[in-house]
Amino acid sequence: MASDVERGEEDEESASELLRDRFRLCTISIAEAEAKQIGMEVSQPIMACISDLAFKYAQQLAKDLELFAQHGGRKSVNMEDVILSAHRNDHLSSLLRSFSNDLKAKEPQSERKRKKNTKKEDKAVADVLHIVDP
Amino acid sequence: MEENTFDPDLIRAIFRLVWERRGAEREKNQLSEPEAEAGPSTSKRSRLTSANANALKLSCELLRVFVTEAIQRAATIAEAEGSVKIEATHLERILPQLLLDF
Repeated sequence: MASDVERGEEDEESASELLRDRFRLCTISIAEAEAKQIGMEVSQPIMACISDLAFKYAQQLAKDLELFAQHGGRKSVNMEDVILSAHRNDHLSSLLRSFSNDLKAKEPQSERKRKKNTKKEDKAVADVLHIVDP
Repeated sequence: MEENTFDPDLIRAIFRLVWERRGAEREKNQLSEPEAEAGPSTSKRSRLTSANANALKLSCELLRVFVTEAIQRAATIAEAEGSVKIEATHLERILPQLLLDF
């Protein structure tokens, strides 16, 4: 049984390592794109540092989100939990809030939005026509 | 910029790993003191936390902002020192405030 537990831990370790490597690749591509945009270079050790930091942050975030969801009596994490995790930083939470509104707008009420948009466009066309008329 | 973000599936996998680990720990603690909560004998699977798709996308955005913020702040310091490469000293300078902000 002890060996089973050990093997389980080993598996978990390798799984975690694999995830960390995939995460690092993602981080590097994001960071490199960002650095390119502002015309800077990033040295390799710093890249590794930042991706490790982000990975630790992701793990901490997972813990926070689980606790928030549990506190809300839920088993599933929703967007409010994620926004709540950034509540100490007003800028960050408002950024997340607007991103979440974008996501919400994209999915469930896309039809309604499209209708609204077409209506607006119609109005705009009418306005243009009106201006053109005289 | 929009397309360059984390893969939600990857983030899901990382979150699940953490939640599985915490779930296993909780179970171990419950075994050592069985009188605590013997009622719900649900399996570990069903108790595991999950995340909905939008929450994962939002988490990806949060992590992306963390990375870009780290780069941008370090770049500001590097620029002030007249360097075009971000080095360890630049990261060191911005790290405390970065960690406080996230």
